[in-house]
Amino acid sequence: MTSESSCGCPDHEAKTGGVSRRTFLGAAAAAGALAGLSGPLMSSRLAFAATGAPYTGDVLVVLSMRGGFDGLSAIVPAGDPAYYAARPNIAVPAAALLARDAMFGLHPALAPLLPYWLDGTFGAVHAVGQTDATRSHFSSLEEMERAAPGTSLRTGWLDRTLGVRGGGSTFQAAVVGNSMISQSLIGPAREIALQDIDSFGLDGDPTVNARRARALQTAYAAAPARMAVPAATAVGALATTAAIKAGGDAPANGSVYPATPLAKALREVSRLIKAGVGLQVACVDYDDWDMHVGLGKPVAGGAMNDHLADFAGAMASFARDLGPAMSSVTVVTLSEFGRRLAENGSGGTDHGHGNAVLLFGGGVVGGTVHGPWPGLAPADLDNGDLSGMTDYRDVLGEILQKRCRIGSLSQVFPGFTPTPLGAVRIRP
Amino acid sequence: MTRRRLLGAAATGVTAAAVLPMIGVTPAAAATTTTATYLTADPLLHLLRRATYGTTPALIAEATKLGAAGWLNQQLAPALIDDRACDAYLARYPNLTKSIADVRATDSGNWDVMFDTGRATLARATWSRRQLFEVMVDFWSNHLNITCPSDNVWDSRHRFDADVIRVHALGNFSDMLVASSLHPAMLHFLNNNVSRKGSPNENFGRELLELHTVGVEAGYTETEMRTSALVMTGCTVDQATGAFVYKPRWHYTGPVSVLGWSAANATAEGGYVVAVSYLRYLAGHPSTARHIAEKLAIRFVSDQPSAALIDSLAGVYLRNGTAIVPVLRALFASAEFRASIGAKVRRPYEDMVATLRTLDIRPDVSGTAGVQGLYWMSSDMGQAPLAWHVVDGYPDVALAWQSASGLLSRWNNHMMLAAAWWPRTLVRRPLRTLLPAVLPLTWGGIVDALATRLLSQRLTAADRAVVLAFVGKTSTGVVSANDQWLTWKLPYLVALLLDLPYHGLR
Repeated sequence: MTSESSCGCPDHEAKTGGVSRRTFLGAAAAAGALAGLSGPLMSSRLAFAATGAPYTGDVLVVLSMRGGFDGLSAIVPAGDPAYYAARPNIAVPAAALLARDAMFGLHPALAPLLPYWLDGTFGAVHAVGQTDATRSHFSSLEEMERAAPGTSLRTGWLDRTLGVRGGGSTFQAAVVGNSMISQSLIGPAREIALQDIDSFGLDGDPTVNARRARALQTAYAAAPARMAVPAATAVGALATTAAIKAGGDAPANGSVYPATPLAKALREVSRLIKAGVGLQVACVDYDDWDMHVGLGKPVAGGAMNDHLADFAGAMASFARDLGPAMSSVTVVTLSEFGRRLAENGSGGTDHGHGNAVLLFGGGVVGGTVHGPWPGLAPADLDNGDLSGMTDYRDVLGEILQKRCRIGSLSQVFPGFTPTPLGAVRIRP
Repeated sequence: MTRRRLLGAAATGVTAAAVLPMIGVTPAAAATTTTATYLTADPLLHLLRRATYGTTPALIAEATKLGAAGWLNQQLAPALIDDRACDAYLARYPNLTKSIADVRATDSGNWDVMFDTGRATLARATWSRRQLFEVMVDFWSNHLNITCPSDNVWDSRHRFDADVIRVHALGNFSDMLVASSLHPAMLHFLNNNVSRKGSPNENFGRELLELHTVGVEAGYTETEMRTSALVMTGCTVDQATGAFVYKPRWHYTGPVSVLGWSAANATAEGGYVVAVSYLRYLAGHPSTARHIAEKLAIRFVSDQPSAALIDSLAGVYLRNGTAIVPVLRALFASAEFRASIGAKVRRPYEDMVATLRTLDIRPDVSGTAGVQGLYWMSSDMGQAPLAWHVVDGYPDVALAWQSASGLLSRWNNHMMLAAAWWPRTLVRRPLRTLLPAVLPLTWGGIVDALATRLLSQRLTAADRAVVLAFVGKTSTGVVSANDQWLTWKLPYLVALLLDLPYHGLR
C-alpha cells in the first residue's frame, strides 16, 4: 500500500482532487475483474476501486453462525440410525428431508435453497471440527477466528489473508450489519464495519460537514493508531458511500429480500459487490443458534425450523440478486462448535463439537456433502459429540487457494497443511 | 483465555508501526502522541473520568471541594447521597416497582418492563449523583449478563436489577453470586430452570464457571463442568408463580467434586445447601479473585493491567471475604491507576451519556419519550444498556469498539444532541450558555472557553489550530456576537469539540 495522500485512500483523492493515474489504473483493472456486472455505478466505479495490485479472486463472504450452529439439524444424517435414537423428540423425520441421498438430506426449512443445491451452487462439508475442544463459546470462537493454534499470533485469519495479498482499498474487507469487527479481522490490514450503507454519512449541512470532515481528518491524523485508523477510514469512506447511496438499493433479477437483519446485511454486501469498491472479504454475523431449550419440530414455529427458514430466505435472495455475479462470490458458514448428538432434557442440545459448513457460489461443487463421515456410533463420537474429521482450515484453505488466488497458506494458517477436499473448483 | 483478554492482547499486537503505514499517517506524529497527550494530568479529573459517566462543572466543583479521598468516600456510600432529582424522574417508571407476581398478573409476556429497565438504567447513568455506584451496576450487570430484553425474563429481569445487582453492587461478591444464581431471571436465561438429574442442561453449570467465577484459565475439566451442572439441578422456577423454588426430586445425588470442592451430596433434600456451599466456594476461589480483579482493572485502569496489579487486587478481595469496596479502594490508590491517564476509551454508550452530561441535557418535563429516544440512540450505536446479546457482557477494551462506523455514529450523535435535532422532548439549555455571559474577545478565547466547558481542559496547540481553521478564524481574530459560528453554526462547533479524541477517552 502506498500512501501519497493524507489518508492514503482513493476516496480521499476522488473527493478532494479527482482521480490520480495510479488510482485510475488500479480501478480499471478491478472493474475488468467484475466485467460481468453492469449497473448505474459503472462510471463511479473508476474512482473508488483498489489501488495497487488488482484483486482478481472471488469475494469471500464469511457468515458466522454464532452461538453454536446445529449442523446435524441442517444437513441431517438420516442414514445413520444413531441420529434418530439420540434425538427422539427433535430429529427431522427422513420423509421430510429434501434432496435426500443414502446418508444425508436437507432440513425442509432450507427449501428456498433447494434450486441452488440442485444446480450445484450450494454444497456442504460435514463433520468439520477445530483443534479447540473446550466447547466454550468464547474460547472456541477466538481460536477459530485466530486460526493459529500453537502459535502466539494475535491476528485473525482474514487479516492475515488480506496482509498476504496486500494493497487493497478502504473497502477491501467489510463487516456488515455490525459496528464491531470480527476477531478474524483483527490485525494491521484495514477493514470497515458498517451497520448499513445508507446511514454511513455525516448528518447536517453538507457544506459545513465537508469542513468538519477535513478538520477531523487533520486532527485524528496526529492521534495514536487505534484512534487514527478508524477516523481515517470513516472520513475516507464518506465519498464512496455517498456514491453507492446515489445508486439506490434496488435488488436485481426480481429478488425480494425478506425484512430480516440477515437479509438486510446480505443486501448491503450485494450493493458493495455491485458497486465495485474493491471488496475482497465480507463478514456477516447470524447468531441465536444456542438452542439449549426447545429446538423444536421441523414445522413453522419450531425454533430451528424458523431460524433455518430465515437463513434460507435471506441467502436465496442474495444469490438471486447477484445472479451471474455469484460466479465470483463464495459464501462459507462457520460456527464455533456443533451441538451434542443427543438431545438434552429440555428438547434442546448442549454444546458439541463436529459441525456442517455450508458453501454457496459459482465455484462450489454443490449438490453433495463433502468430507469423510465418522459415523455416530458411541465409539465414533468425541465426548458424546460428532467427531471433527475435516479441519475447518481444510475448507477455508481450499477456498483461499482455488477461489481467492492465495498462493501459499503458510502465513494464513501457520504450521498447517490443508488436505484437499474438492469442495470448490479452481477459478478459471 | 477469555474474549476480553484476546482483544486486549491484540490491542498491543497491533502496534502503531504495524498499522500506520497502511493508512499514510506519518509515523513521526504517532511516535510522539499517546492518548495521554490529550488529557490533563490532573489526578482528580482522572479519577472523575474513570469513576463516573463524565464530568460536569457541578461535579468538578463538588469533587474539588471534597478532595479526591472525600469524594471517593462519598461515592462508596451511595445511600447517603441525596439523589432526589433522579429518583423523582424514576417515579415515571412505575413498572419497576412491581413484583414478579404483579407483572405476571397484569402484563403477561409483555416486554415493556424489560425496556423500562434499560431506559431507567440509562437515566440513572446520566442523572444520578451516585455515579460510581451506577458504573459498578453496569460492571456487574455485564459480568452477570442477562440480555435485556430477551425471552423468558420478561417478568423477572427488572427484579434481578433491583434485588441482585443494585443490592450487592458495592457489597460482597459471594452474596451477589448466590443471589444471582438462584434468581428466576438467571435460572431462565441460562436454562438451569429445566436442568434435572438424568437430563441436566449444562448451560448454567458451564457459564457459572467460565463467566461468573473462576474463568476457563482455572483449568476445570469437561467432567467438572458437567458436575457443576449436576450440583445445581433442582434449583428452578415455579412455573405457576415465577418464583425460585428448590425441587428435591430434580436434584442429582451422590458425591460431587469441582476444583477442590467436594460434597457427599447424599440426599435430595440437602441439595439446596450443597448448591449454596458450592457457589460460596466458587466465589472465594483464588481463580475467581483473579478473574474479578482483572475485569475491574480492565474497567478502571487499562486494557492490559499488569499481573502485579491483578494479584494485588485479588489478594485484597480474598482477605476481605469477597467484599468489593476494599478492592475498589486499593485499585484507585494504586500507582498503576494514577499512571493510566488516557489509557481507556469510552464505549459508544459511555460517549453518549458523557455528551448528555457535559451538554447539561435534562429529562423531559413530563413523560419518558426523550429517554426512550436516547435508548434507541444507544441501541443504534450497538450498546443499549443491559442489551448485550450473548451470555458474556459488553467487552470493555478499545479494540472491540474500534470501527469507522462506530466513530461516525458518535459524531452524528454529538451533532444530534448539540443541535437539539433529536430526541426533541429532552430539556436543553440554550447552547450559547455554554459560553461565558461576557464573551471572550478573541476566537482563540472562544475555542479555549468551549473546550474548558465541554472537555474540562484545553486543546493541544495543533487541535486548537484545527478548530480555528474549521470556523475560518485566527486565534486573535475579534469576536462578533452575531457571528454565524456563534448562532446557527454553533452546534457544529460544539459537536466538533466533542468529536475530537478527548471526549472519546475516559
